[in-house]
Amino acid sequence: MLRPQTNVWTMIKIICSAAAMMIQFLTKASSDFFKRGMVIMKRLILLSALLFVLYPLSAYPDQWKLFEHRYEYKLEDVLQATKFVQKKSYWEGYKDDKLAGYVFISKEWTSKLVGYSGKHLETLIGMDTNGNITGVKILFHSEPIVLIGLKEENYLNFIKQYKGRNIKEPVSVGKEISMDAVTGATVTAVVQNSIILESARKVAEASGLLKAAKGSGKKISRKFAALTWEELKASEAVKNIVVTTKELGLEDEGDYIDLYVANITPPSIGRNILGDVFYKDIMSTLKEGESAIAIFSKGKGSFKGSGFARGGTFDRFNIEQGAKVYLFNDKDYRVLSGIKAEDAPAINEGGVFIVKGGEFNPVMPFKLTLLLPYRLTVTKKEFKSFRVEYGIPERFLE
Amino acid sequence: MSDKKIGNKKIDRRSLLKFLGVAGAAAGASVMVPNSVISESKKMMFAKAEGGEEKGRQSYEVKPGEYDDYYGFWSGGHSGELRVLGIPSMRELKRIPVFNIDCGSGWGITNESKKLLKGLTVGDTHHVHGSYKDGTYDGKYLFVNDKINARIARVRIDYMETDAMIDIPNAQGLHGTFPQRYPKTEWLVTNTEFQIPVPNNPGAPQNEYYGLHTIVDAEKMAVVCQIMVEENLDLAATDYQGKYSMSTSYNSEQGVTISEMLAADHDYLLVFNWERIREALRKNNYKMINGVKVIDGRRGKSDIVLRIPVPKNPHGVNVSPDGKYAVCSGKVSPTCSVVEIAKIDQAFAGKIKPEECVVAQPEIGLGPLHTTFDGRGNAITSVFIDSTNVKWDLERAIKGEKKPIVDVLDVHYQVGHIMATMAETKEADGRWLISLNKMSKDRFINVGPLKPECEQLVDISGEKLRIVHDGTTYIEPHDCIMVRRDVIEPKVKHRYDMFEHPLAVTKSGVERKGKDVTVSLTANAPVYGLQEVKLKKGDRVTVIVTNHDEISDLTHGFALTNYNINFIVSPFQTKSVTFTADKPGVYWAYCTNFCHALHLEMRMRFIVEA
Repeated sequence: MLRPQTNVWTMIKIICSAAAMMIQFLTKASSDFFKRGMVIMKRLILLSALLFVLYPLSAYPDQWKLFEHRYEYKLEDVLQATKFVQKKSYWEGYKDDKLAGYVFISKEWTSKLVGYSGKHLETLIGMDTNGNITGVKILFHSEPIVLIGLKEENYLNFIKQYKGRNIKEPVSVGKEISMDAVTGATVTAVVQNSIILESARKVAEASGLLKAAKGSGKKISRKFAALTWEELKASEAVKNIVVTTKELGLEDEGDYIDLYVANITPPSIGRNILGDVFYKDIMSTLKEGESAIAIFSKGKGSFKGSGFARGGTFDRFNIEQGAKVYLFNDKDYRVLSGIKAEDAPAINEGGVFIVKGGEFNPVMPFKLTLLLPYRLTVTKKEFKSFRVEYGIPERFLE
Repeated sequence: MSDKKIGNKKIDRRSLLKFLGVAGAAAGASVMVPNSVISESKKMMFAKAEGGEEKGRQSYEVKPGEYDDYYGFWSGGHSGELRVLGIPSMRELKRIPVFNIDCGSGWGITNESKKLLKGLTVGDTHHVHGSYKDGTYDGKYLFVNDKINARIARVRIDYMETDAMIDIPNAQGLHGTFPQRYPKTEWLVTNTEFQIPVPNNPGAPQNEYYGLHTIVDAEKMAVVCQIMVEENLDLAATDYQGKYSMSTSYNSEQGVTISEMLAADHDYLLVFNWERIREALRKNNYKMINGVKVIDGRRGKSDIVLRIPVPKNPHGVNVSPDGKYAVCSGKVSPTCSVVEIAKIDQAFAGKIKPEECVVAQPEIGLGPLHTTFDGRGNAITSVFIDSTNVKWDLERAIKGEKKPIVDVLDVHYQVGHIMATMAETKEADGRWLISLNKMSKDRFINVGPLKPECEQLVDISGEKLRIVHDGTTYIEPHDCIMVRRDVIEPKVKHRYDMFEHPLAVTKSGVERKGKDVTVSLTANAPVYGLQEVKLKKGDRVTVIVTNHDEISDLTHGFALTNYNINFIVSPFQTKSVTFTADKPGVYWAYCTNFCHALHLEMRMRFIVEA
């Protein structure tokens, strides 16, 4: 929420609409006599509006310095190499003329992933030719971790954990990566994790280290069949993660959380889960290339948490497909308060989340990661992470 | 609604859930599918209830994290505001300032609200109704009257904010107000309860005091025309075909004292013929009075108005969800008069007498005021003097039964309006009813001589009426509507469209033109765009604030200490305020609406030099 400006695209939209309004005003005011001059005016206004987009970068220079941290860097900081060759958006590092790995700066790859501050966490990352992370260094961030009593050092310690991780393997906060150093700064940790992984996987694809997944050529079927809750589960139209209290070392009995996920874009899944009215409403708001997934849960554990209320970002779950990591915020979200399918259980909480960006392929599988904080005692908080892979079953495709 | 009728026979749990719209679409998919979600606990409750008791045992509990099934829109009486409640929880979700000043939101303090209020600070909201399409709510607007200053206001449902307000000329005691229901709300009618001379000449004799039925263009918010009649005009209704509007009159005598108003043994339901109104407008059959087209609808002067005699001093008029009947509640008569709307056509055509439109006149109780419907053929009437809600069967009344009463429920106390869920639409679903009681007396712990109102929530899903909750409200709702959540929820936004406001600030700064100073401020948690502003004593200052935080529910405030200024801006909203910097010194402006861990640090100085 510490946002000195809305993101650049929003600003462009805002400024262009302002320009459009001015143009409208001027057009109304103009007589035929002035029309030629007006055309030039209009162009000037549009141009100045576009230039104006640059303004937010310097909007509040003084107020925000308190939260800004910038670090100098050398490429060798993250990869041992004797020579670096610049490629498009990354460097190749050579040791004795042999390719040793890659170095890249996250904002070239994942600038849309922003932290609690609303700004990207600019990170320098090194990776060897096997996909092992060789080093990570933070270059710039303005995360307000000082507000929760953390020191800059805590953050730097958190980052150190990535050295040696392999990006072909799953790497999640709360599982492979510990939250201990930055307890409380979950959004920062989760976003930082996504930035490192997605940047590295994209570089791996660009350099040929990883193969990008290809689409299956199938499409979502528009046919509708009424399905009960049991049928939805049996067909794997919904999949779940069950976390028992026992697994977490808690004293209570039973499931701590039973979390369900479904891609609700196919009508036979979405309409049965959401009901006709809500389904239609969601579909009518989807833009080209967007998908909608539903996540909902039973049990006392919460996947939404309460932290998103002020920061806007959901810090307890994300989805991954190929190199991409998708985080969600309150703009991509609609409340889901119950499941319509016949015999569906009551749920504790739920949401419909819009997957933005044309890169997401709805017919390809994705991984849902749940990062679950829980209290062992009133003073001891732990984190554990869980995953489930989801793909729309064949019967809902054509 | 016959396909929805649940007879007296016992129904199983499955069909009950179907009826409630839970287990997929109810039979007859075009109607009544409440978007309700009944949680496991509610299902359990149904399952546990025995046999015929299932109906009428709806759960009214809305647990933490659960949502209400209905939006309730309440008028606020002489508080001048509107309110939004969740039904059945009866939680107050929002107050929408309309004709009043609201210090918390800054309504009446900002330039934007002052422009609508034009210096007036009091209002009396009685009737709130939604805009319609094809006989049910379209979720676009709410409309509400101001009885004190004769105004109509409109609330945009997407922002839940008052967006237009118009004066109704030639009118006093602006009362019953109702939107067109079919094919959609293009017109809105509003009545004047107090007759006055038109134009308002103080020397006019009493028999030249008139009531006016005003037609408003609901989209443009402009008066289309007024129909002038001798009668006073009380409650209003429209039909489901877009042909008629209706109004009860309790003072057809043109009396100015109570005894004069009670003199005649009957008064009227007046019906206004819209086709003939349009024709009068086409033929320029009107006079311009105070800038408005006034059509003469007096007795013997025009064929626009049909006067159906009803027992003296009636009150409410409500149309049944099937569009067939208008029910006039008797007030001083213990009866309700049922008017068959199909017969109105014949009466206007001169084929039958106006009184022949009344097809039933059952005895309901002492002081029937308003009637609502469950969509299953029953009417439920509020009965003031008896302090009851009376459920009665319309068909049995029409067949001639004198007392077709199904159930009588004591309410606490002195009920005024009454309203069932979706009852003023063709999708009346017979689930909940609110009895808007005028007095609470001993129902709550004592809070002094002025006590809250008591809005009782009644389960009407069964044969018997059952009170499940006493809900308190602040002064003094008259009327409400309850709209299914799925109708409203998709329309409501989380943030403003920033450039709907022509002054939206994208860059903070100060601009001076002589003594006029404009201070433009962005608000981003936890800072305003400027840390200080320097002014000179006597400057006329306009502060414009735009909230640039996009996160939902992140509202900022702007208060200027010792300058009586306070308002809030929600995500992407802009508001402005103008004041004279007449006190030299250092004055802190600060954020009044909690926004951030550093909310207290979100402040800036206004330095006024002597």
